[in-house]
Amino acid sequence: MSDQPPLQLKSQKFREAREKDWKALAKQIDRAENGGLRKFTTEELLELPVLYRSTVSSLSMAQSISLDHNLITFLQALCARAYVYMYGPHARPGVMVRDFFLRDLPRSVRALWGELALSLLCLVLGIVGGILMCMADPSWYDPLVGGMSQGRDLNASVDDLRKTIGGTDNGEPLAAFSVFLMSHNTQVTLSAFALGVIGGLPTAFLMIVFGMSVGAMVWLFASKGLGPDFVAWLSIHGTTELTAVVIGAAAGFHLARRIMFPGHLTRKAALSEAGRLAGTAMLGAMLMLVIAGFIEGVARQTVTEMWARFAFGGGMAALWLFYFLAVGRAHKVRPQKVTHGQT
Amino acid sequence: MARPDLMKGGAVTLPSLNGPVTPVTTPEGVVLSFRTASFASRLAALLIDFLIIVLAPVLLVILYILLPFEHVKFDNVNMDHPFVQALLILFVLIGFFLRSGYFTLFELGPRAATPGKRIMKIRVISHDGGHLTPSAVITRNALREVELYLPLTLALQASVNGGWLSLVALIWALTLALLPLFNSSRARLGDFLAGTRVVHVPRERLSFDLAEQAPVGSPGLIFSPEQISVYGEKELVVLEEVLREKRPPTLRAVADRIKTRIGWVEPKIASEVPSDEAFLRAYYAALRAQLEGRMLMGRRRKDKFDD
Repeated sequence: MSDQPPLQLKSQKFREAREKDWKALAKQIDRAENGGLRKFTTEELLELPVLYRSTVSSLSMAQSISLDHNLITFLQALCARAYVYMYGPHARPGVMVRDFFLRDLPRSVRALWGELALSLLCLVLGIVGGILMCMADPSWYDPLVGGMSQGRDLNASVDDLRKTIGGTDNGEPLAAFSVFLMSHNTQVTLSAFALGVIGGLPTAFLMIVFGMSVGAMVWLFASKGLGPDFVAWLSIHGTTELTAVVIGAAAGFHLARRIMFPGHLTRKAALSEAGRLAGTAMLGAMLMLVIAGFIEGVARQTVTEMWARFAFGGGMAALWLFYFLAVGRAHKVRPQKVTHGQT
Repeated sequence: MARPDLMKGGAVTLPSLNGPVTPVTTPEGVVLSFRTASFASRLAALLIDFLIIVLAPVLLVILYILLPFEHVKFDNVNMDHPFVQALLILFVLIGFFLRSGYFTLFELGPRAATPGKRIMKIRVISHDGGHLTPSAVITRNALREVELYLPLTLALQASVNGGWLSLVALIWALTLALLPLFNSSRARLGDFLAGTRVVHVPRERLSFDLAEQAPVGSPGLIFSPEQISVYGEKELVVLEEVLREKRPPTLRAVADRIKTRIGWVEPKIASEVPSDEAFLRAYYAALRAQLEGRMLMGRRRKDKFDD
């Protein structure tokens, strides 16, 4: 008898015809996963999506004509790997960064305007509350400011206080401290955002407490006659940093709102929609905190005049306002632009 | 999405996938049924990642001791020295990165997985089948703060202070942390928020086609349609596994059971009596041919109890 097997199933013919593509795709995905995408030739790069689509269609086909379990498992795993790779988060870095900064970030922050107002209100309430509480009873200062005081405590003399906000770096490892402060404030922002998930009240609480610690410090300096100096010192990086904290909390409030009032969507769908919007805003807030850290590290020591400090802080505030209000608005007449796949 | 789609025929019978399945419709319109990553494997991945997070600073310190920095005399140098400052900043930044950025950065990479996830062969995917966006990755990792670090902090507080309030908070936080155990897609809070899922993405090898190896034209191995139509697809899968494993005792047992079930009569001539393996191969090929034939006509047969 011939070598030809007696049974030629449709699924066998199917496999024979397509097997080459699958193996090619498996090899290419292996290479790509190991970071070798740069080494691909142009033809190979162009071939990759074709191979992927043909394999995915093979899987779809195999599921309806073949009962070879090993084959289907293989195809599923291969398609899954290829899918994860093809639809992974990697986009062209340039395009991704441009889209993010010029479109996504300002738009999602604008979409949060109601929550921004609420979180700003909480912060202002906290600051005012902190000042009032300390005015009524100075012993509130310590519990409110806690470990962040770094020598700015009740017993400090005017000179001591002036030194902590002075321009010169005298003895205290200020730069390292400001990095610590940055990571602390980043934690506050992250927590304010994350706590939104459990109803939003904790976010409000966190914002008020955070505002109180700021307010208490303002009170301390004001009581020694250094109020404007302190506010000027704070404004250098504070306009950036507080904006970031406010945005983070607003993102948290947004989550809370969408969980409690999902509208016409299911709660799960509303949550994931809100998550994307809030996540984008959150990323912006994190980046602002990094910028604030840099300003803190550099400008605090170099910008020493009170008017210059106000000018710098005000300038930053104006910059952020302009960025979040004006950038990325949809044009009235959109040019017909065809984009292929990249988002 | 998991509903059987008669037109596509996919995602209807996937008997191999043990455990919960996360079906994802790709932009090409094909349903990929990912196996949902189990809580255990996710926990293991997390522990591996933590190990790295904890060990990395330790390694840095060791590196610092090993490298000839000792020549920079610390006793004389005051803390204001720019070098010391830079070093301190570096350390704080690394600590910060490890806590807040480690997961995000790795999941934004080409493999969408942290080293721990890679070892456990699990990946993050977007639940709607589209691109996994950077903002989704950031969201799901920012939520770690409330799911993981908060319970840990509270647990620490509870163990130190022992207040009932922190105990209540701890229980509440633990419920959040254990959320993956209570929903079918094993998603944690961050996954729900970001619209992501963590799935098992194994590598499978393509083996040979068993049907090709059916014994060629041995006269003794012909089955009547009634003998074949005893079993369904589920049994076919089991048979395939047995044949690929090739363990003689199992082969024997399975062959015996099938023979009794279908009322197999051994050929009279001793030389024509097939081996267990040959018998099973032939039966596999015949069963598969019949079931695939039915399948093409749109009449699938799930298992032996199905008509």
